[in-house]
Amino acid sequence: MKLTIDHITVTVSEGTTLMEAASLAGIAIPALCHLEGLKHHPSCMVCAVKDTGRDRILPSCSYPAEEGMQILTHSPELREFRREALELLLSDHVGDCDAPCQRACPAHMDIPAMNRFIAEGRFDEALQKVRETIALPLILSYICPAPCEKACHRGTIDQAVSICLLKRSTAHKEGQLRPVAIPVDPPSGKKVAVVGSGPAGLSAAFYLLKAGYQCHLFDQHSLAGGMLRHHVLREKLPVKVLDEEIGVIREMGAVFHLGEMVDKTAFHERLCRDFDAVILATGAVEEQILRDFGLETDEHGIKVSLANFGTKTPGVFACGNMIRKRQMAVRSVAQGKAAAISAIHFMRTGKTAGSHHPFNSTFGRLTKEEFYEYLGESSEILRIEPSRGVLTGFSEAEAIREAARCMDCNCRKPLSCKLRRYAGEYGAHQKHYSAPVRNQIKRIVQHELVVYEPEKCIRCGICVEISAREGEPFGLAYSGRGFSVRITTPFHQPLSQSLQKAALACVDACPTGALALKTLPGKNDKNAL
Amino acid sequence: MKQDSANRSAIAHKVGAIVASRGTGRDAVIPILQDIQQHYHYLPEEALEEVCRITAITPAQITGVATYYSSFRHEPAGKHTIRVCTGTACHVKGSGQVYEAFRREMKLEGTDNTDAVGIFTLEEVACLGCCTLAPVVKIDEVTYGHVKPENVGDILRDFLSRVKRSSDQPAKTGGNRGIIQGEIRIGLGSCCMASGSSEVKEELERTLAETSIHAEVRQVGCVGICNQVPILEIVKPGEPSAFYAHIRPEEVRQVVLNHFRPTTFHHRLKNRIDGILDEMLGNGAPPSFRRYLTEQRDTPLTRFLGPQLSIATECRGELKPCDIEAYRQSGGFEALEKALFHMTSYEVINEIRNSGLRGRGGAGFPTGIKWQLVKEQPSPLKYVICNGDEGDPGAFMDRMLLESYPFRIIEGMLIAGYATGASQGIFYIRAEYPLAVTRIREALQICEREGITGHNILSSSFSFNIRIFEGAGAFVCGEETALISSIEGRRGIPALRPPYPAVEGLYHKPTLINNTETLAVISRIIRYGADSFSSIGTTGSKGTKVFALAGKVKHGGLIEVPMGTTIHQIVMEIGGGIAGNRSFKAVQIGGPSGGCLPAVLSHLPIDYEALSEAGAMMGSGGMVVLDDTDCMVDLAWYFLSFTQDQSCGQCTFCRVGTRRMLDLLEKIRGGQGTNDDLVNLENLALAVRKGSFCGLGKTAPNPVLTTLRYFRHEYEAHLRGECPAGKCSLMITYAVTENCIGCTKCAQRCPSGAIAFKPYEIHHIDTEKCTRCDICRQVCPVQAVILK
Repeated sequence: MKLTIDHITVTVSEGTTLMEAASLAGIAIPALCHLEGLKHHPSCMVCAVKDTGRDRILPSCSYPAEEGMQILTHSPELREFRREALELLLSDHVGDCDAPCQRACPAHMDIPAMNRFIAEGRFDEALQKVRETIALPLILSYICPAPCEKACHRGTIDQAVSICLLKRSTAHKEGQLRPVAIPVDPPSGKKVAVVGSGPAGLSAAFYLLKAGYQCHLFDQHSLAGGMLRHHVLREKLPVKVLDEEIGVIREMGAVFHLGEMVDKTAFHERLCRDFDAVILATGAVEEQILRDFGLETDEHGIKVSLANFGTKTPGVFACGNMIRKRQMAVRSVAQGKAAAISAIHFMRTGKTAGSHHPFNSTFGRLTKEEFYEYLGESSEILRIEPSRGVLTGFSEAEAIREAARCMDCNCRKPLSCKLRRYAGEYGAHQKHYSAPVRNQIKRIVQHELVVYEPEKCIRCGICVEISAREGEPFGLAYSGRGFSVRITTPFHQPLSQSLQKAALACVDACPTGALALKTLPGKNDKNAL
Repeated sequence: MKQDSANRSAIAHKVGAIVASRGTGRDAVIPILQDIQQHYHYLPEEALEEVCRITAITPAQITGVATYYSSFRHEPAGKHTIRVCTGTACHVKGSGQVYEAFRREMKLEGTDNTDAVGIFTLEEVACLGCCTLAPVVKIDEVTYGHVKPENVGDILRDFLSRVKRSSDQPAKTGGNRGIIQGEIRIGLGSCCMASGSSEVKEELERTLAETSIHAEVRQVGCVGICNQVPILEIVKPGEPSAFYAHIRPEEVRQVVLNHFRPTTFHHRLKNRIDGILDEMLGNGAPPSFRRYLTEQRDTPLTRFLGPQLSIATECRGELKPCDIEAYRQSGGFEALEKALFHMTSYEVINEIRNSGLRGRGGAGFPTGIKWQLVKEQPSPLKYVICNGDEGDPGAFMDRMLLESYPFRIIEGMLIAGYATGASQGIFYIRAEYPLAVTRIREALQICEREGITGHNILSSSFSFNIRIFEGAGAFVCGEETALISSIEGRRGIPALRPPYPAVEGLYHKPTLINNTETLAVISRIIRYGADSFSSIGTTGSKGTKVFALAGKVKHGGLIEVPMGTTIHQIVMEIGGGIAGNRSFKAVQIGGPSGGCLPAVLSHLPIDYEALSEAGAMMGSGGMVVLDDTDCMVDLAWYFLSFTQDQSCGQCTFCRVGTRRMLDLLEKIRGGQGTNDDLVNLENLALAVRKGSFCGLGKTAPNPVLTTLRYFRHEYEAHLRGECPAGKCSLMITYAVTENCIGCTKCAQRCPSGAIAFKPYEIHHIDTEKCTRCDICRQVCPVQAVILK
């Protein structure tokens, strides 16, 4: 039979679903509750398409193609419809995608992953994880006001995890730099000028060097460090620490041009001409200088696109206090990295990139009951104070014990969760339809391999089907009806009894983080799929 | 430990016996669970585990099914179950306050629903189908109508005293019959029974036995005048029938003696009847004294019956439900014989098609075309299902038809089976209708004995077997595919169509599913021909439609009117107008899938298209009349809370969307709503209509959308913190006026201590403590308690 999908004529055999027909036409349709090879009721309605002939919306994952149908798979109406379906699902989805600490961190550091590595005594890997987002972990561990710790769920009930000091324990071992090599990409043959060697400039340099770009840092002062050297109290940030971490960047191959003031002529004649990209990170400067550089300004400083830190001049980027005064150092560090990534994108493609902000589901504060549920397998002890004082920081043994307090609040499927993915793609707002009272969070950790968080479930029932197909003696079952329907184990069986064979298949098929592997990125991944 | 294992073996023994009678297949799960609950009053987990051990039923399946249907209980219950009906008619007459009153009386706290000593368990039930007696409460098998919050204590005491008395044997009819002096008819529909007709019948039989009066007692089905029940009709040769409304057992003897004794007594009585007739029918309030009525021209009775036309309810009030001879004498089974011996199946289908009959379940699909589709399927095995899963709160047509005319519906099903080539029939009857199940079961046994069902029916070559499947409590099972899921032993979740049940239905076989009322008119169409049916009604809607008329009319009941009758005629003529000197505000047609039409649209005819265009829906035929004390926001909230609760939970828009709509409505109803909430509510309603998978979800927003369309000003008033009808309890306060005589009745009855006891002084209500139970207003002898 013949039908058209987005005006493309396709010929299919009887029994072909609209989604299959669309894929023959090369068109992908989003879906959450659909799994190839399983026959179950369509539920999520995200796969909706429009039958224009009869003016109706159909679930494409299971609706059979009919002769002469005219199907639209993408239109403003469908985009709106899918967004609405996702927003309804999100209004009943209680869980955080990223942990609150990570969301609060301007650099968006993967704190739970660092904590897990430390808890297992794998400090080298922890440092590598930290350096994915933070170029100056040691320095920041002395001066960061730690917004992460204020957001920590554990802080709601007892005390936040000592994240900032844990970060130091990754960079320092017994007061010495932890000797962990920084892998560097092959040379790109291109070079970048970074003006200013404060937190933003150093951070930009770090990620440029790591990606194989030559990097020249210009600073009017005779010593590198910018505000870190000139505006931070010495008793707060020891000079030794500052020099050590700048040394890391120097060792990576950064060329420092100290005592060199970049004026209008130098900027135009030298930097813009001799370098493939320029990153401005001088800190707050007089407006006149900026105008001399030919850059637009606003009330904060240089006007940049917050999506990519590009100025109006292609190839010139700006970050740090230059674009907004008196920022936290960690924010400057984050912007330095973002500017570097944009510059790299520019050098590779000649275009300035847009930014991608991933969707984040959030649920607000943890209640006391939920806290104990969340505690799960984490250590119940109170926050550890370093026995040798805050300036010295944790011993490794102390760090391991403190890191074990982390409750792993983040979703265990931050990348594979389809709900998150489509919510981002369709611009869904979780709070569009909000529940007057949110559901109480449960976290079932009894199974050896699997964590089950029922309030993240979208009730698609794929796991019920799979556990039946795999011949589980108990399996998973629907319980209840309507809005209160949940997926449970029959007869109050422990999850380990219910999922004896099908656990991994269920985890793999679950479209959200409701069923996830216990083994987290960073732990021994021997059971990973 | 020892006791535990003994207990387990007792359970194993019981479950074994149940399984032996119900079978071991996966589709036996619902009947098995029903039997287990019948025995234990709940579903003990050990029993369910035992079921899984000895049948093909899996733990996941039994968990899914047992938690899906609302009639199943998972915790031990009290000895007796109190079920408070929350149907539409009951809701608008204050069932919410009745429920709260029971909770107070039983001292229930939190989520408890069984009292501390385990005597009573309190439940809410979607609809008991006794809408004209609203608000209704049923304790085990005893029904109480017109319940007031202040009376719940008396009701519990009355019930317990009945239980105590139940060991007494009822008197038996006896003696030689001799010459029949006349006939006494007594209605035995659910409404009649609920209002005490079985006690009246017992008393009647006792009187006849003791006095040796030879009058035949005929039990008849629902008479339709449900707000006058119990009714006794005395038919004597050569005399007009005498009707006795609201008769009480203690009055029976006097009535019988008056009729079956020298005529002087009778004349005296008749004069009395004529004198008080109008007063009796002119007032819709429950009577406090006896009222009688008889057949006369131009009385409210003739106005009630006048515009009606009985097809589905043919011989209303004359047939004893399970009397096959009476049914035969009224033309019963003539149509079946005509079809079997004088018509081909195609001729039968053509006749139905030409009659213009459309499905009475709601959507109005042409019945003949549906039959044709099933007929065309080559399968040797086909099914016919009578959909008696009437779930609309406020509708009781199916119940009344099944209870009163079981043979007519069986005949309709047999003709459908013959026409479509099916050999198996199933009555799917809602769990809340035990009497309908009993009647159909009895009628089926009689039919089998008489050779009307089974092998070679009436010695023809046509064979057809019929069984009953009792629903387990899920409104969505009225949807065909969900109904099939349920018979097959699964959660009653609608499936994607196509394939349609006509092509691939029950057990993957072609299946014809017709509504009870649809089947009830089949025999008449075949007997008198398509024209006799198609000549009635409008262009697109032929024949008659049965409605359950309830709410604020004077005379509620079960009515059957020709299509095309206007809403005005139904409310004002048949219903006798609005009760209690209130004004006619709106009529809710089609239940939770339907809509609310304002009084100004009452010129609209009963017609599928006309009602749809106005935003309502024929639905299955619930018609609840509303007066100026009814709040449209509250009503929209009521219907939505019903559908939301009945959602199967499968698709996003229905499961979450209706819940979020309800959240918004609750906010508005509570006086906390904003303009944005109203905009969101309307947008979401449209999205739920567009995006839901089945009819339940697609039509769930209708009550909200129609009230927004016709009564938007009421929503806007709520945004300002006012409920114009004074119904939304979160926005109203009670106050005592200067008329207070200081009788202290309110203070004595106030359950929350909000009124201080001050004899001979004007009382005062503490708004902080007041729970808006309305009792003070009801007990005040001088109407000094007012709403603000």
